[in-house]
Amino acid sequence: MFCPSFLRPALLVCLTAIAPPALRAQDSADEKTSSLGKQYESIVNVECSALRVDYRTPWNAATPSGGSGTAFLIGPNLFMTNAHVVSDASRITIKKVGDSTPHRARVKFIAHDCDLALLELETPGPAFAKAVPLTISTEIPKLDTIVKVVGYPIGGERISVTRGVVSRVDYQEFSHSGVDQHLAIQIDAAINPGNSGGPVIQGTKVVGVAFQGYSGDVAQNTGYMIPTPVMRRFLKDVEDGKYDHYGELAIQHYPILNPAQRKALNLPDNDTGVMITAVDSTGTCANALKVGDVLLELDGFHVDSTGSIDIDGEQTEMAEVVERKFVGDKLKLKVWRDAREQEFEVTLKPFPAYLMAANQYEKQPEYLMHAGLVFQPLDHELMGAFSLTNLRTRYYYDYYAQDEIYKELPEVVVLTSVLPDAINTWLRDYTGQVVEEINGVKIKSLKDAADALDKQPDSTHVIIRLAGEGRPIVLEKQLIAAAQERISRKYGLASDRYLAP
Amino acid sequence: MKLRFLLTALLLPLALPGGAEAAPAPETSILRVNITSQGYNFALPWQKQRPNTRRGLGALLAGNRVLVTAELAQDANYIELEQAASGKRITAKVEAVDYELNLATVIPDGDPGTFFQGMEALELDTTLRPKASLDVWQFENNGAPVTSSVEFNRVDLAPYFLEDQFFLIFQANGAVQYRSGTFTLPVIHQGKLAGMLVRYNSRDQVSDILPATMVERFIKDAATAPYEGLPGFGIRTASTLDPQLRSWLKLGEQDGGILITDVTPGFSAATAGLKEGDVITEMNGFKIDGRGSYQDPDYGLLGSGHLVRGKANVGDTIKLKIIRDGQPLDLNVIMLRKQAQDYLVDPYVFDRQPRYLILGGVLFQELTLPFLQLAGKEWRDRASFRLVYAQANQDEFLKAGCKKLVFISGVLPAPCTIGYERMSGLVVNKVNGKDITDLASLADAVKTPTDGIHRIDVQDGPRTIYLDDAQAKQDNAEFLPSRYRIKAMENLK
Repeated sequence: MFCPSFLRPALLVCLTAIAPPALRAQDSADEKTSSLGKQYESIVNVECSALRVDYRTPWNAATPSGGSGTAFLIGPNLFMTNAHVVSDASRITIKKVGDSTPHRARVKFIAHDCDLALLELETPGPAFAKAVPLTISTEIPKLDTIVKVVGYPIGGERISVTRGVVSRVDYQEFSHSGVDQHLAIQIDAAINPGNSGGPVIQGTKVVGVAFQGYSGDVAQNTGYMIPTPVMRRFLKDVEDGKYDHYGELAIQHYPILNPAQRKALNLPDNDTGVMITAVDSTGTCANALKVGDVLLELDGFHVDSTGSIDIDGEQTEMAEVVERKFVGDKLKLKVWRDAREQEFEVTLKPFPAYLMAANQYEKQPEYLMHAGLVFQPLDHELMGAFSLTNLRTRYYYDYYAQDEIYKELPEVVVLTSVLPDAINTWLRDYTGQVVEEINGVKIKSLKDAADALDKQPDSTHVIIRLAGEGRPIVLEKQLIAAAQERISRKYGLASDRYLAP
Repeated sequence: MKLRFLLTALLLPLALPGGAEAAPAPETSILRVNITSQGYNFALPWQKQRPNTRRGLGALLAGNRVLVTAELAQDANYIELEQAASGKRITAKVEAVDYELNLATVIPDGDPGTFFQGMEALELDTTLRPKASLDVWQFENNGAPVTSSVEFNRVDLAPYFLEDQFFLIFQANGAVQYRSGTFTLPVIHQGKLAGMLVRYNSRDQVSDILPATMVERFIKDAATAPYEGLPGFGIRTASTLDPQLRSWLKLGEQDGGILITDVTPGFSAATAGLKEGDVITEMNGFKIDGRGSYQDPDYGLLGSGHLVRGKANVGDTIKLKIIRDGQPLDLNVIMLRKQAQDYLVDPYVFDRQPRYLILGGVLFQELTLPFLQLAGKEWRDRASFRLVYAQANQDEFLKAGCKKLVFISGVLPAPCTIGYERMSGLVVNKVNGKDITDLASLADAVKTPTDGIHRIDVQDGPRTIYLDDAQAKQDNAEFLPSRYRIKAMENLK
């Protein structure tokens, strides 16, 4: 579920799992023979060399870095781990317990929104031939029951086991993407760097994937694992050979707690329904819901006046209904409009606009350099790399989804920096602003900017207008070609641009 | 980082008829001014903040007027004038105040009796030029005079008190002792008042002095009611030093000129027909260079803003030479004045209660800069983004017919506001079907609920807030006065 920062979801106390379809791999696993010692053979150490790009020098090759995590076998040549363990990977190797030979592996599927990934060995050999895949439980472990965390955290080379209890079942922000929220389970077993991607085991079955905790002194004995409904959803999603994003209702709602609301809307006083306060005009509910509607039922679940539903006797966010569905699935909505009930059926869609605020992975940053002016499309990484503070730029960023700016501007192009040269010596004060127009052409993407700058203007000058800035950027056409060559050479740009295909 | 202290300077120019023989001295021309200020609480606008008493120095001017900074006199509740040596005190009141110029005059509240006997008003030295030695006058705690000498050597434009308002400033070097509790101090040149020290940077030992020429403007204006205040131009500009920009604007290489990048609708420049893209090359006969400066006959190179804020009065005409589309053009701009309340978002609010209206616990206000500044120095990052954005783009709202930005600043928990407690910073668009353009229009709209229900349309959050009229009236009459001790449910003045 995507949750805008200004609308945090209500607390979710407990949730019983629905039984998702089991993987074939699990069917073949014989639980009775999976002794604990045998399980360890299926829990491996993942070493990943990653390449992180500096958005301030997008033309440079990335800086290599490395990390280590844990993965576990869930099927023939199929290892599950966290997305953050293997993001931006240049090389991945797997080592099994008691064997220091690194085996090269690659990412088969990766889901940044729920921080899960599947790995496979590049050349499956005899090393894991006898390893038994772990079984994924069909249940969410109960509060105060004991779980074990197995993995390769800091503090030594060999496999580590820690033990604790289930402390809380709740929605959490998944810090890997920074914008997604899903069900997560808090445990008090020690989880340390390197545990990421490792299985959390109850009895003989996997009940979760260790994935995040608090750093420093913020909280003690607080670690989080991704529970089985999220794991199983991911496995089901990739059955068709690719990972689709979660679907989103792309609406906002407000509780109906004030008696005047019920009176004004002619609603019976029965604790039913939430007010719809925003409906994205391209999202799942675009042709069904309207602002001011009251949502009474979501896919058959009765929605109460705070937007909660009751699943198997547990109160939970109505988003949980959507969490269990896939893009393309149908959803039934019952709404209260004009003092009567109306029903709609909608098809679940993704809502990519909210990814403006998400961390970016597996992505070569796009840029365009013209006369030393560097243009880049706005996203979360850019915002952080340049600490952009211009008020309009912040508006485009903060309200990109909410105010549907994405419809007008598929990409928000920002003049991020100036590579100093004689041609641009008076232009350094104008960085951090959004490009509105180039030679009279409205700029809606970096490609628009590239096309507008590639096309020779009829006039003697290139005019670049920034949003809300009355002083245009003026370049003399005849000076540009020489400057372009000079700047590229001096500042080491092999190319003046990278535009994603 | 530069540490700057605010100095409240007191200047007492007193023009004694007949003229006393004795040369002006601190003990005869400077008074202590004890001011108790009490501004309103912008979060809870029905009440005032804790009173705050400060002591500054004032310069005695002609007519038993004591000159202080507006900063010291802001939101004054109670004022005393005190003779430093004898400790003799009388009650006083603010006669005139200009927060932009940061000047105020204080006069006795009633008959001063013999209080001013033996004192001597200071004359203003309006002819001061750089390279002069100045004295900063203060008193020790026991009333003994203290003089610090500083060297006046530089002229610039800088804010006096309110940020973003630039005026003529004299900068002087030299140590100034901290004696008075504030750094607003009279500065003397050869027995005349040279200006008021408004800021002192103790690290660099640089004093910023509000010069006597600006004091003179203020005193002249204050002499005849109504007080008019300074005019404004209403443009934003950019330099034309960039040769590529110059060639596109078809400017000659030596012409100088400043590019207009924004024109405030309805203000002086817009009324005269100035447009974005025009280049101003001359003002009142002074050539404007590529940075927007001119050669002032008195002070040398100075920002052209001084020709408006420092020299022009409301109603004056400023003659411009401009270049538009490469063609020279003459334009006359008649100087207009915008009061703080003429802005969508008041840039400052002093000496008056903020406007507000409470409906069953929902608190409506008109947005002001002091409200935004409740979020602290980093208010641009910390206050509600929609409000910060509106403050920065006021013209867009003014064009849409909005006079003031009405918003819900908070909700007082009351029977009427169950479920709405968390709302804050919400811009109000309509109430009961009527467009809201200021708080008065809101006060009007809440008179006509439909079927006993108020419908309040806001930009974010619940989008439509429903309130029961009968409950709101009851809470306004009973719950809110008794629980929150609110006496008045609105202030529209």
